[in-house]
Amino acid sequence: MSGLYSLAALCLLLAVLAGLVRILRGPTEADSMLAAQLFGTCGVAILLLLSKGLDWVVLQDIALVFALLAALAAVAFALRTWGGTER
Amino acid sequence: MMDVMGFFDIVLALALPWLGWRLLASSDLFRAVVLFISLGLLMSLTWVRLQAPDVALAEAAIGAGLTGALFLSALRRLERLSESERRLEHAGKREEDETIPPEKRRRAKPVAYVLSLFLLVVFVLLLGWSLGQTPGAKGGLGPAVAGQMGQSGVQSQVTAVLLNFRGYDTLLEMMVLFLAALGVWSLTRVRQTQQGEVPGPVLATLVRLLVPLMIIVAGYLVWIGSSRAGGAFQGGAVLAAAGVLLLLANVTVVRQVPAGLLRWALVLGPLLFLLTAVACMGGGGNLLEYPGQSAGVWILFIESATAVSIGVTLAALYAGGRPPAPSAPEKDNEEGPGSGVDKGGKA
Repeated sequence: MSGLYSLAALCLLLAVLAGLVRILRGPTEADSMLAAQLFGTCGVAILLLLSKGLDWVVLQDIALVFALLAALAAVAFALRTWGGTER
Repeated sequence: MMDVMGFFDIVLALALPWLGWRLLASSDLFRAVVLFISLGLLMSLTWVRLQAPDVALAEAAIGAGLTGALFLSALRRLERLSESERRLEHAGKREEDETIPPEKRRRAKPVAYVLSLFLLVVFVLLLGWSLGQTPGAKGGLGPAVAGQMGQSGVQSQVTAVLLNFRGYDTLLEMMVLFLAALGVWSLTRVRQTQQGEVPGPVLATLVRLLVPLMIIVAGYLVWIGSSRAGGAFQGGAVLAAAGVLLLLANVTVVRQVPAGLLRWALVLGPLLFLLTAVACMGGGGNLLEYPGQSAGVWILFIESATAVSIGVTLAALYAGGRPPAPSAPEKDNEEGPGSGVDKGGKA
């Protein structure tokens, strides 16, 4: 059963690498940023799967921190791109 | 199972240097920042695979979270300064960059490449050599630490080393962090922004949901640090994330924090750490030699104080300047990249 978790984690890692294309190619900055956000989500999923697969509870804490802090970059990006420039 | 994880590791090991190279070679600052955030994620996964959850936790909080926001806000300020029109696409800017470097720069390149390659090889050889010379490098210090865990007062080996066996190092690190904040504060004041502006509904809701959660998680990480991965630095980093989010949203609460309170919060950790270290000598012990069986309590005490200070320090570093003079209570305390940030986009 744990092999299944590892396999799923590997698939997600490959998905992250596939997402790199969007970061490198764009075309817009929002695409790049969303790809990075997707990485964060994938990272949380990978950590949770590994936590199950390797039976290692600590990884859930790391996933928790990831999930909490992923929004930070998104907020900074949204303010940078669409925040008021007129002020 | 092992094969799958082995393949996982190989993919990770190949992706990491490649991503690092793309990040360094990127001519577009924004893309470099996004790549940096992604690198932090892969780095954290790598630390997990290297059985170092403490480092992975710190990397998750600092590398993927805080630094990303810091870079994006810094980029925003840079763009404002240079009136750059690189707004939503990075394609146009890149072509412009490539036309700028003259032929001269190309000519100097081969020599520079060879020289840096040479220096790199020398550096790696020196590192390898010094590793061979280090006493205890053969078997590692793990057994020695494990043998002393009984009197460390905590269950986590990392915390035992950081705050008991090598507490001196951590004390100095706290001072370094404190000095960094002092350095930034001595450079500039934070910029003023208009008051009474509210963040947009989405951002306001996000702040309301996330900030309390972050504070709870920060406390949890400090507490859990005594038995497994976690500790003052990780907890402090999450606390700083809450501060940065408040700064980004530019909520009124942040502005009403008195500058004096901010200074005390900054000093709290280093001061209590230092006082504890010296107080240990009062009982006839050495510096930071916790008396008797009380090590666990002292460690938790120091960690709680340092976590608060680390959180405030990192948030202050993000704000990028000292608060305005106390004589002007109407002015904002913590602003910065977050200050230029104008409230929740299109509110």
